[in-house]
Amino acid sequence: MTTRSVGAPVARSEDPRLLRGEGRYLDDLGHDAFQIAMVRSPHAHARVLDIDVSGALEVEGLIAIHTFEDLPPRLQEPLPLLLPHPSLTAGRTQHLLADGEVNHVGEAVVMVTATDRYAAEDAAERILVEYDPLPAVVGPERARAAEHAVHDDVPDNVAAHLEQSIGDAPAAIGAAPNRLRFRLDIERSASTPMEGRGTYARWDGDDERVRLHTSTQAPTSVRAAVAAFLGLQLAQVECIAPDIGGGFGVKIMHPWPEEILVPWAARELGHDVKFTEDRREHFVSANHERAQVHWIDVGFDDDGRVLGLDVEFIHDHGAYIPYGLIVPIITSTQLIGPYKLENYRVVFDSVYTNTTPVSPYRGAGRPQGCFAMERTIDRIAAHLGKDRTEVRSVNFLQPEEMPYDFGLTFQDGRPLRYDSGDFPASLEKLKQLVDWDGFEERRAAAEAEGRLLGIGLATYVEGTGVGPYEGGHVLIEPGGTVQVSTGLSTQGQGHQTVFAQIVADELGVDLADVRVVTGDTRRFPYAVGTFASRAAVMSGNAIHLAARRVREKALRIASEALEVDAEDLELADGQARVVGSPDTAIDLKVVATLSNPLRYAFDESARIATQFANPGKEGQPPVTDDDEPGLEATDYYSPMSSTFANGMHAVEVSVDPDTSDIEVVRYAVVHDCGPLLNPRIVQGQVLGGVAQGVGGALYERMAYDEHGQLQNASFMDFLMPYATEVPSVDIDHLETPSPLNPLGIKGAGEAGVIPGAAAIAAAIEDATGVVIDAMPISPSQLHEQRLTTAQDRPGDTT
Amino acid sequence: MPISRPTDVTATLDALAASPDADLLAGGTDLVVEVNLDRRRPEHVIALRRVTELAGHDTTDGRLRLGANVTYSEVEHDLAQLVPGLAMAARTVGSPQIRNAGTLGGNLGTASPAGDTLPWLLAMDAEVELASPEGDRSVPLANFLTGPKSTARRPAELITGVRLPRVEGPQHVSKIGPRNAMVISVACFAIVLDTTNRRVRTGMGAVGPTVLRSPDAERAVTQALDWDALTCPEDAIDAFGRACAEATAPITDHRSSAEYRRHAVGVLARRALRRCLST
Amino acid sequence: MSVTAGAHERIEVEVTVNGVPRAAEVPPRRLLSDFLRHDLRLTGTHVGCEHGVCGACTILLDGAPIRSCLAFAVSVHGRELTTVEGLAADDGTLHPVQAAFQDQHGLQCGYCTPGFVMSACGFLAETTEPDDDEIREGMSGNLCRCTGYAGILAAVKQAAGDLRASGADPRSQHQPEDDAFAGRPGGEHGPAGGDGGGEVPS
Repeated sequence: MTTRSVGAPVARSEDPRLLRGEGRYLDDLGHDAFQIAMVRSPHAHARVLDIDVSGALEVEGLIAIHTFEDLPPRLQEPLPLLLPHPSLTAGRTQHLLADGEVNHVGEAVVMVTATDRYAAEDAAERILVEYDPLPAVVGPERARAAEHAVHDDVPDNVAAHLEQSIGDAPAAIGAAPNRLRFRLDIERSASTPMEGRGTYARWDGDDERVRLHTSTQAPTSVRAAVAAFLGLQLAQVECIAPDIGGGFGVKIMHPWPEEILVPWAARELGHDVKFTEDRREHFVSANHERAQVHWIDVGFDDDGRVLGLDVEFIHDHGAYIPYGLIVPIITSTQLIGPYKLENYRVVFDSVYTNTTPVSPYRGAGRPQGCFAMERTIDRIAAHLGKDRTEVRSVNFLQPEEMPYDFGLTFQDGRPLRYDSGDFPASLEKLKQLVDWDGFEERRAAAEAEGRLLGIGLATYVEGTGVGPYEGGHVLIEPGGTVQVSTGLSTQGQGHQTVFAQIVADELGVDLADVRVVTGDTRRFPYAVGTFASRAAVMSGNAIHLAARRVREKALRIASEALEVDAEDLELADGQARVVGSPDTAIDLKVVATLSNPLRYAFDESARIATQFANPGKEGQPPVTDDDEPGLEATDYYSPMSSTFANGMHAVEVSVDPDTSDIEVVRYAVVHDCGPLLNPRIVQGQVLGGVAQGVGGALYERMAYDEHGQLQNASFMDFLMPYATEVPSVDIDHLETPSPLNPLGIKGAGEAGVIPGAAAIAAAIEDATGVVIDAMPISPSQLHEQRLTTAQDRPGDTT
Repeated sequence: MPISRPTDVTATLDALAASPDADLLAGGTDLVVEVNLDRRRPEHVIALRRVTELAGHDTTDGRLRLGANVTYSEVEHDLAQLVPGLAMAARTVGSPQIRNAGTLGGNLGTASPAGDTLPWLLAMDAEVELASPEGDRSVPLANFLTGPKSTARRPAELITGVRLPRVEGPQHVSKIGPRNAMVISVACFAIVLDTTNRRVRTGMGAVGPTVLRSPDAERAVTQALDWDALTCPEDAIDAFGRACAEATAPITDHRSSAEYRRHAVGVLARRALRRCLST
Repeated sequence: MSVTAGAHERIEVEVTVNGVPRAAEVPPRRLLSDFLRHDLRLTGTHVGCEHGVCGACTILLDGAPIRSCLAFAVSVHGRELTTVEGLAADDGTLHPVQAAFQDQHGLQCGYCTPGFVMSACGFLAETTEPDDDEIREGMSGNLCRCTGYAGILAAVKQAAGDLRASGADPRSQHQPEDDAFAGRPGGEHGPAGGDGGGEVPS
């Protein structure tokens, strides 16, 4: 009997290839392709007066130089606004190359094509662009002050204004016995995957087709965009996401200007063309996220129960808004977390600034929302002198209240409706895991050693498995190999392994016989993409449904061949066999051969199949009306609404009283994403998210100066954590299944990052007594805040 | 970008004479970064790795000479007994891969105010050896470093090594940066309790346009120390930290405020001194 | 004596890569990482930052880990290089360090992985019995954005034990017939090893 593999910590089938250096990432392809280098704007805001390319023409290896004027009319149109929204009244998107004005440092102005990247950069260096600098708008508040405009036709810099509410928050706050008002800031950061962006196109003039490899989280969408911009039929465009060196959200943006320009140039030049972004470019030309300023107004009773919450915030979406309002809408709705808010009003302005555009980075507005809500709960606890876990408990939505509809609209345009979760049980688990009640002893021991120890926690609820759909295709070949495909792409989540586990269980085959392909429009042309912690939920369930259909067909064919009832058969060990009588069996590969009247009698399966030869039913064609040849099926999964995962993190930090150096000394996670398909992969997702959360709390920020220049555009100064910065993490799981999908699963991709800043801020506040209302925080900033706090509180010696 | 790969000092100086603007390439951990980040497009590069006279170390007349091509790894692994403070500084340099490539000569030539080996070398009154067709000269490090990333090296000159006095006594080097590994320090401090000459030597990095020392702090603590017992009164330790901090001229940038740099170097000074004292 | 090459001049670079003599004519400014990837088509060495911080391009130069993005190809003329392609056995069986990364879930997207593997090989050649702090320190020259490092540190620890048991030099190509790991599944679907492993379909 085949052991069930779903739920087992199966080692990843992707790994041996990647470990041997046999991965095929974008820049590993197309060694003979022409290479693109972009001349990018050094100014945050300027008019382009003149472009002089004469100095570049001498460069050996130069192939072509293109400016905006050189592009055909269709390519002079701005990029699409991907996600329109009724509130998005002033949406502006970038051009493929700047049309007379640049709006952020890094915006592409001239495209240079040469025989290799060195030559392309040499030529780019020699192109002289004359700019007339304009005042730069940097930071959300300066944007809203609207002293200067990013886009002339949007004088207030506001692209969208959106308000949502439940009950009557202002009235409830006014009537509440306690009220607090304060401001909370989160700075800009970015996904920064280890591999930057990249696109490689081959134009086949004989077939009149373009094959595009691109480092994307949405290959089907890129394909559609390329077809539209290049005036091709979809059938003329193939788009493949090869091995991808991390995404974390930034590669869901599509199409990037280069994803259109590269295939266009390949067709124009009749030669392969490739763009490989370098790290410096990535910092300024690949999207950022996170920057928001929030103003909180909260009313609560003497137990800490929130009676009304009013949140206003400004979302800085950068120079353009191609991805719409997804991030601020997620903040608006997911800020609520595990709490039962009955009076809540949230309003935001999404504003233009002369900085790199914004689209989701892992967490996508949730870290900001979590920071706003959890800092609010901590303030309430501090105000009332109560334990922070107690105040959370009185506000929790209870498990028996699930499913719970808040009366708000979520990012997918559907109701915000929690499907599952047991928040009190999760909190209890977390308190055990981190020994919450034993903390004061640890604090005292640390104090004796001259260290300031603090503890904090933060909770979140995360909408995952966002629709509208994904599909899966499963095919058993006559050779016995099971081919599986789905349209969304993979950036390290182990889909090849997990999807194979699902199929292997359903079909009773060995994992090693299952081959999974993701993100290749030649194999599966319909898909939405890999974002919003949706791949396992959406494609996992779709593949599960497709495999079930294949199973049914296999059982039907086997029952006819073996002349037994299908109900008496099971699929196991690569065979269909009679339950309790395993000698009466037929190999699945033979069943696959039988499924096709044309046997291609080239192999052993075909020879064996002849003994089951079925002359066909009298009066019926060889393939009946309700059948089709082949042992394969396609199916789709499309949920009514998102499924909501949740979790809670607790952190202990140690602060050096002299230097204000901050060290995370203990990190505990309780995570509920329903049943775990592969515990080691889920654990890896959580651990990776935690590391990004720690980075976002203590190390990583996009440091723009007032002129819109990014001061720290390198890994030397954008301080991603090394192994020396990431604590070891204790993880415990609660598995409350989702009622919404056949596998009962919820997404896990983003969870780990969400509460990091909130929990670490709480721990630093607990250690130092300094109110932490802005993140990230460096030792230098903490030092200054401690000095200020000490001045404000004479006699306090911290 | 032509590249010259001389194998001895004479040939290197010839190449320099032919192209006085050439960039000198040692471990590549500064120059190649600049090139890759498009901050510099060298007209000519002279690669120094094969220049045999720049390798190794030796001791003559009680003075230690370290060749310009000595890497951080060599300092850390081979010279820890001889120059313990420099070995500590080498260990604070980023990653193992960088330590295998980066050299003392490169650190001197780049002359970053945050150069990791420079505070200790300054504390030791190191002299920089320079060779040129006109002859050799040596320049005290304090005079060699003329500003942020600027030195007294003349276009025709090559840094061949550093010379140091051999002194006994405890020493310590530490730095503060916003990340543990691979970070540009916001404050760095080196101290040597020179029991041979009974004087305290210090050097401070990242808190001024070049690495600095605090003669006042050194003088005061030298007098306050009990050199036989290697102890120091608490108030003198605190005063030492304050005096060091006062001697700095830090800037505010995205890595740190000036105020924090000044404060941090004072803390480092007190802690470094305490580590060198008998308990 | 001195060798000087002009602006468009190409210089012959001869190196030994993974035990095989290789030669190519390249411009003086060709980075070693580009030389390996594009001239020798050894694309297992990855480029993540080109400023010496991320470590994805780590290779062994005469047995010691260096960043190949910070060296010019012409600077390593005549020397011995080891890249990630030089570790697994000829039949594809994973080297103990590679196998440990799979067992301990030490990789996700895999982009930083060759750099980590090479750093680990260099580190374990120097430090055969590392404690946890030494491993953390030894791996602190490489950035990973996916894993949070826990799996990587566990992998290096496992590999240290496996290498001690076999006595193999971690910088050498794996010879499966020589050690206790012969027959270890290094194929497409190796079973889970290390902690928490074992439950695999038969």
